[in-house]
Amino acid sequence: MPQLQRQVFLGSIVVLLLIVGLLPLLSMLFKSMIIDGHFSLEAYRGLLASRHQWVLMRHSLALSSWVTLLTLLVGVPLGVILGKTDLPLRRTFAVLFVTPLLIPSYIVAVSWFDLLGSEGLLADLLGNPVAQMTNSFLFSLSGCVAVLFTIFLPIPMLLTMIFLRTIDPSLEEAGRLVSGWFGVLKGISIPLILPAVLLAAMLVFLLSFGEFSVPAYLRYDVFPVESFTQFSAFYHFQAATAAAVPLVAVTLLLLLAEALFLQEKTYPLRPSATIGRSMTIALGPYRKGVFVLITLLGFVIVILPIVVLLIESAGMDAYREALDRAGGSLLHSLYYAALGATLLTFVGFFVGYLIHHRTVRYWRMIDSVTIFLFALPGTVIGIGLISLWNTPWTNFVYATPMIIILGYLAKYTALTSRITAAQLAQISPSMEEAAQVAGAGWFRRMVLIVIPLSWRALLAGWIVGYLFSLRDTEITMLVYPPGYETLPVRIYTLMANGSPQLIAALCIIMISATLLPAALLWMLYHTMTTKEIK
Amino acid sequence: MMIVTMDDVSKAYKTTTILDKLSLGIKEGERVVLLGPSGCGKTTTLRLIAGFVAPDSGTVSIAGESVSRDGQIIKPPEERKVGMVFQDFALWPHLSVKENIEFGLKAKGIAKAKREEQVRKMLVVVDMDGYADRKPAELSGGQQQRTALARALALQPKLLLMDEPLFSLDQELNSRLRREIVLLQEKLGFTMLYVTHNRDEAFAIATRIVMMQKGRLEFDGSVAEAEYRLRQV
Repeated sequence: MPQLQRQVFLGSIVVLLLIVGLLPLLSMLFKSMIIDGHFSLEAYRGLLASRHQWVLMRHSLALSSWVTLLTLLVGVPLGVILGKTDLPLRRTFAVLFVTPLLIPSYIVAVSWFDLLGSEGLLADLLGNPVAQMTNSFLFSLSGCVAVLFTIFLPIPMLLTMIFLRTIDPSLEEAGRLVSGWFGVLKGISIPLILPAVLLAAMLVFLLSFGEFSVPAYLRYDVFPVESFTQFSAFYHFQAATAAAVPLVAVTLLLLLAEALFLQEKTYPLRPSATIGRSMTIALGPYRKGVFVLITLLGFVIVILPIVVLLIESAGMDAYREALDRAGGSLLHSLYYAALGATLLTFVGFFVGYLIHHRTVRYWRMIDSVTIFLFALPGTVIGIGLISLWNTPWTNFVYATPMIIILGYLAKYTALTSRITAAQLAQISPSMEEAAQVAGAGWFRRMVLIVIPLSWRALLAGWIVGYLFSLRDTEITMLVYPPGYETLPVRIYTLMANGSPQLIAALCIIMISATLLPAALLWMLYHTMTTKEIK
Repeated sequence: MMIVTMDDVSKAYKTTTILDKLSLGIKEGERVVLLGPSGCGKTTTLRLIAGFVAPDSGTVSIAGESVSRDGQIIKPPEERKVGMVFQDFALWPHLSVKENIEFGLKAKGIAKAKREEQVRKMLVVVDMDGYADRKPAELSGGQQQRTALARALALQPKLLLMDEPLFSLDQELNSRLRREIVLLQEKLGFTMLYVTHNRDEAFAIATRIVMMQKGRLEFDGSVAEAEYRLRQV
């Protein structure tokens, strides 16, 4: 009987995930093949025949490939420096470099425009000819690559830092007996974390491939922009779906490659006896030079854009106007992000549980579905949601903020489920088994044993869910019902006719709304963890 | 000639003293076993000699040259000409047996032909010549141990450090490999510092036994003297 309780409950979670995530996509695909009530592949024929689509494909591939290459070239060494050396303020630098990933992508583009654009700060300082040059650079493939590079750099950086910590230190020590650090990193440490580096490459590629707001802002035509324009500007559903199909196909192909080549390639984690022991690279005479270099990089790609926004928005008037025009949207953002994070934590926890314990037969498939939805561009999920829920019978979802929350749930469950699965791997199965032997049913075991032991995953999952829901632009922009727009959407729509000062002030408000709660929550997490260790 | 000398070496982690003014000398060609219970400072002694940690005070010298002193590492591990076999063997899982042995030779810039010859020689020495292309995960415990030994000896080190290398093996294999290690040392003549908490293993391998307790040297003498002392205790 208790077994049945568990299966029914977890089964319901799976069904919910499939309804929220997969059904909209199937509905979208189905509807794209129905024209005037008849089955037709006209939209796809048009897609293959159009030269423009191949241009888009070339643009999308070029953008993603360059961003992936650059983030890896800089992110992996940066991860090594911040994760393995005796550089001062390593943690502070890591937090600094993560910042652009936490805020809506286009805000980074706006800040670069305020600096390099034709009427930006550089134009004021160096005159028009220089500004023309920097403006042309920004509104091109190179500009798009540069902006996305600053946003996605933390992905390879963080994965490198995390996975370097999982290497058994004696493997590096054995190398150090015969070789310097450079040889050890090249021959041992980096090859051992190669699966993580490739995972980072895949994630960056997919996220750049699906990125809509930055290319749209910088007027660089790629598939997500085309799909969004077809849908929102022309309301041409079939064309929008057809433009989304290559995005789905590339995502599927890459995830399949990951499943085939990477999933079984991981090496065993370090033995528990070695936890707490790690080898640090002493930078010696290079310490100062590396510190200056990292500070400079952090200043250019993180601090400078924020400072530019602060300068641009200088004066209380801009902030007053910003709050007047977008105060409601800010509240919506905070409210939906909190609600989304709570649901993401709940659903992600049980999905993580069933993945870790393999309690349902198709656990691997469920894991793959969540990863697939996370990797899928937000515009595709948005169009899917509209396609499924835009009916007179489901208006209670479509015409309310519930549709936004469903979008968050579809796209970001992978994050909370993976966090839970990682935490559950640290908890001995005998904890739950002991409660089972003592006669506790599944729900009781969950409430009294598993959930309290997993509080770190729950809190970390909530923080991550909150941040990603708050920064979401693509899904929300497509699905928000009138009167329920969030701050990122409001800023994006105001960009068409708002003054640069107003936009800069709104961007600063958005950054503060993201970073302040994130910092507070992180401090809470840190305090609780430290208390537990003591 | 003294291969290793430790003079008044102390080491502490936070508030726990691991080594307390330890002095020890090892002569060329000796097979010294450091014997003692867990936490007595045996492994830290090896790590100090290898150069992974620096002594808080005191001096460590190899072949008459100071390699670390008073909190400073003067010579990094790769310049100390020391080989080491780790408790878990620490074989690099992404490299084959041949590549594991070859790694150090490559790092030292030895020419390919000479490298290959040395790898072949080491494979024969440890009786692993049919396994060159296997990955560590495809080897038995004994084969992994032999590979680790071959890797440690490939650069003909002045000193071989062994950190409980038979700890994870079953009794039968453990006994067999003890004999093999002794035969190999006699054949190649390297100096050896072997760490264990197992008395039988210590007596089977050592020409000299050093007993440690709470970071201090408690006994230093021949195998017969050590046996006598332990019987008295």
